[in-house]
Amino acid sequence: MNVQLTLAIRYLKGRKLRTALTTLAIVFGVMLLFGLNGILPAMLQSLQSSMVAATGQTDLVVTSKSTGQFDASVAATVAGVDGVAAATPMLRVPVALQPKKYPVGTISLIGVDPDSAVSVRPYPVTSGRFLTADDLAADRVWTGSGRNPSVTLPDSTAKSLGLGVGDTLEIPSAFGVTKLEVVGTLDILTVPGNDEAYVSLPAAQAMLDTGNRISEVDAAIKAGSDRPTVTAAAQKAVGDAYLTGGVEANSSLFASLKLGSFIINMFGVFAIVMAGFIILNTFRTVVAERRHDIGMLRAIGASQRTIFGMFLTESLVQGVLGTAIGIVVGYGLSSAALSGLSSIYSDLLHLSVGKPVFLPSTWILAIGMGVGVTVLSALIPARAAARITPLEAMRPQMGDVYEKVVTRRAWIGAAIIAAAVAGLVSRNTSVVGFSSVVFLVGLALVTPALVKPVTDAFGRAIDLAFRQEGALARANLQRNAGRAAVTASAMMVSVAVVIALLGTFTSVFDGFISYIDKAMGADFLVIPSNMLLSTGTVGANDALLREVKATEGVGDVATLRVGRAAMGTTSLQVIGIDPVAYQKVASFEFSDGSSQVDLAKLGTDSTIMVNGIFAAQNGLAKGEKLKLETPAGTKTYTIAAVGSDYLNAKLATAYVSQSELERDFGVTADVVIMANAKSGADKAASLASLKSTLKDFPQFALYDTKEWRDLQVKTFQQVYGAMYFMLFVLAVPSLLALLNTLAIGVLARTREIGMLRAIGSTRKQVRRMVIAESLLLASLGTVLGMLAGVWLGYSMVDAMNTVGFKMPYYFPYNGLAIALVIGMTFGVVAALIPARQATKLDIVAALHYE
Amino acid sequence: MAIVEAKNLSRVYGSGDMAVTALDAVSLSVEAGEFVAVMGPSGCGKSTLLNLIGGLDTPSSGSVMIDGRDIAGMNDTELTALRRQRIGFVFQFFNLIPVLSSVENVALPLVLDGKKADEANAAASDWLKRIGLGDRLKNRPDQLSGGQQQRVAVARALVSEPALILADEPTGNLDSRSSDEIAALLKQVSGEWGRAILMVTHDPRIAAHADRIVFMRDGRVVDDAKISGAESARAAMEKVGLL
Ligand SMILES: Nc1ncnc2c1ncn2[C@@H]1O[C@H](COP(=O)(O)OP(=O)(O)OP(=O)(O)O)[C@@H](O)[C@H]1O
Ligand SMILES: [Mg+2]
Repeated sequence: MNVQLTLAIRYLKGRKLRTALTTLAIVFGVMLLFGLNGILPAMLQSLQSSMVAATGQTDLVVTSKSTGQFDASVAATVAGVDGVAAATPMLRVPVALQPKKYPVGTISLIGVDPDSAVSVRPYPVTSGRFLTADDLAADRVWTGSGRNPSVTLPDSTAKSLGLGVGDTLEIPSAFGVTKLEVVGTLDILTVPGNDEAYVSLPAAQAMLDTGNRISEVDAAIKAGSDRPTVTAAAQKAVGDAYLTGGVEANSSLFASLKLGSFIINMFGVFAIVMAGFIILNTFRTVVAERRHDIGMLRAIGASQRTIFGMFLTESLVQGVLGTAIGIVVGYGLSSAALSGLSSIYSDLLHLSVGKPVFLPSTWILAIGMGVGVTVLSALIPARAAARITPLEAMRPQMGDVYEKVVTRRAWIGAAIIAAAVAGLVSRNTSVVGFSSVVFLVGLALVTPALVKPVTDAFGRAIDLAFRQEGALARANLQRNAGRAAVTASAMMVSVAVVIALLGTFTSVFDGFISYIDKAMGADFLVIPSNMLLSTGTVGANDALLREVKATEGVGDVATLRVGRAAMGTTSLQVIGIDPVAYQKVASFEFSDGSSQVDLAKLGTDSTIMVNGIFAAQNGLAKGEKLKLETPAGTKTYTIAAVGSDYLNAKLATAYVSQSELERDFGVTADVVIMANAKSGADKAASLASLKSTLKDFPQFALYDTKEWRDLQVKTFQQVYGAMYFMLFVLAVPSLLALLNTLAIGVLARTREIGMLRAIGSTRKQVRRMVIAESLLLASLGTVLGMLAGVWLGYSMVDAMNTVGFKMPYYFPYNGLAIALVIGMTFGVVAALIPARQATKLDIVAALHYE
Repeated sequence: MAIVEAKNLSRVYGSGDMAVTALDAVSLSVEAGEFVAVMGPSGCGKSTLLNLIGGLDTPSSGSVMIDGRDIAGMNDTELTALRRQRIGFVFQFFNLIPVLSSVENVALPLVLDGKKADEANAAASDWLKRIGLGDRLKNRPDQLSGGQQQRVAVARALVSEPALILADEPTGNLDSRSSDEIAALLKQVSGEWGRAILMVTHDPRIAAHADRIVFMRDGRVVDDAKISGAESARAAMEKVGLL
């Protein structure tokens, strides 16, 4: 074994506690980075494979760019393309089944044209029969009652629903619950847990109230034809509004999962960077501690490179060890998380997730960051070590050089802070995001210069509780101002991020709640049970609306209808409203100088209202023209107003009148019904009769608006729970940093502590000294972090306001209180192990300690 | 042949009003196999002299030849190699790496020089046995007495078969019995194994083991006396007023 490796391993073994603490920091960071990254790809993969399974048997799939539905005639266009053997129209919509009735939450209702479908791909039958032209003909004149349309199920679906030929399947539809008769089971591949039900196209269209519309065209390519050529020809034939090929790229779910993985990576990187702080600190101490060893090694002939290599090897060993453990723990974490999430995931998206999936990039990221950051953080101390001359090593280190460096750094830090402040008040989100990072860096540079004044100030408070030990603790910190500063910086960054996020979340939360109170004037609310307006929702035809209107005690009623459109590559939902009726039961939050007068213009001559977030993202303003891809082709609208409703405040949304929605999107089904109670009416009685009306429409949930508001608050509180967990995750590295610094402080002062004990300090006094030191350090980091965090949070909220999320700023009192409590608790907790070490020192051994 | 040939060595610390002349035009030569003690009051420049000769420090003026090679023009890498191969060091403190065993500590100069670990360890155990620590091969420094630690340091200074051993108060930390043992060992190193030794000491009894004593005061050599045995040593010390 080479000499560097031997020395590295021996030194690491010689200081087990410190090695463990430093390695733990790396383990934690890698665990997050690796483990969390295993979860999302698993979800993405199951989503992808379900899509591949759904379309994989098919040569060519044509879908709308806006992910919406389109006219069935497109199928004929595709069939006419050179090289296409056959094309078949399909309507595929996920439908939520009645809870408790089936062990499956959602099923894909697929409408097919039996004749052309079988020429595109095979539908082998295992029992009964596949759909026939007779089914099609019968369903074409079916109006929702009189007979039960035929349905065929893949074997896996039949099994999970417990149905066989001759049984009845109940599916929510625009008519209420529709009964379907199972006529056959099919040997076709679906992703495990992805259930499908095939009915004739007219039956599906009637059940979903889509008119003669479909969601995709599947086609088979003639044998011997070149696939890319045919695909290109098909694309040309159908035009820009359609996608040919796969469907996965267009999924908005993909986009949000990708965003999720980005956020998760940020957490992991944050934790690893914090680990870098810890490593840096440890190695600085290690170098200081080993000055004499280094000097002696240099004297007997070790070159600078050998010394440099020794420290790098040491960091490499720790980096590799920490990364390896982190990967193992991370694997466990993601397996556990996935099994915990899988029930939610299969209920919500109706997909099953298996084992965590680790992409090559995840491996590279985790290993690269874990080992890389460790070695990088050791680089500066290692270089310093290599530069120690044998003579210097025999003398005590001089202090004034360090002072100069501190002062210079503080000025650089101050300059950086000034620049960051300029960026933070810019109100531009990406500039604000970048500036917050820069701001924290600047603050970290200033911190060393603050150690003395701030600890002096806090020292007075600490002296109250620690009369004898306070002064000593303070002196210890000030003596190693650099080490104290790095620790305080690590803590500061954690606390600042936590408080800034808490501040932002509080504002978002309170903002939305007050928004609900303002905007939702309606007394009753009928909304899709899965809360997603535009996907997976079966609308209701006007029978439901009529019944709601006819209900005793119900006054004004307004509805929302949803279509999808695309603007360039971004897709958005287009909501159809009746401006007059809407104003009676709810209201919009207007911006850009818009008002109710502008809203009233909707409904004539292609006028449209866009919501704040969509306007901000695309730089749109009142009076401008907006070109959208709709199912009826490219349409140009005039923006009459900018305003948002509560339900859709977070999504890119535009509003048109319901007549325009019907004209351009072909949508007539209601997905949200809002109603007022007549004044003086018995609300409870109305609610009860509405409830019985809705029994036939299990895809909808009925809420008393007050009750619904409470539900929203509850949802937010659940988000809060998840957020507190994340904040805890962010805080852990700072605890480790604190623990590490105290532990190395105690180690470095072993001889001194032995001397204190020898001249008569009690164990208790030694322990209290360590705790006092820890508390000082923790308060330094916490207070700086609180100041930085409040301000960062404010800038974030301010920036969000400018991108269309209108929200007031709420001062994070709770966040500050929590940070203070956690900071001080960490201060005490972190001191426990090192304090124990210090008090248990054997005096004789300590005095001989090198 | 002279192993060490120092000519007009001066070392000035600091500059201007703050300048301290630690060494003032000192000339000194040490022959192969010669055991030279350096004595003088605290702060007279003994350590400074040793550091300059060992290539740990650079002189303000003057020159040092080791084995006939001028070290003035050498860069850090060359100086390091010279120390590794031609010079052995024994200090008063911090001689050993605390996490390595005796054998490993002794083997260190060879390992640093690129020798294979088992070869280096064999040579190291050999030297440890020769100086009477054959039963302490695997012990770490904290499991050895102060005297034993210094003997390990001497073994390490010898293991690379250097021409010169520089020892700065090697017994400064030890009781009189251990000191005597180290002095006897150094005597053996020069007498039997033919190494030149330059040793700084405050202890007349230790200095008496040397072949020659160089007396210093205020950065200058004030006397240079050949001695043989305690009597002549005492006489030399009395002459310069050290006793
Ligand atoms: N780095 C330095 N900067 C300034 N002055 C120094 C430095 N090193 C040594 N000196 C001064 O040089 C003079 C000689 O120091 P040196 O260490 O050589 O003395 P010494 O003879 O070894 O003393 P002792 O017997 O106490 O070890 C002393 O006056 C000392 O103060
Ligand atoms: Mg000295």
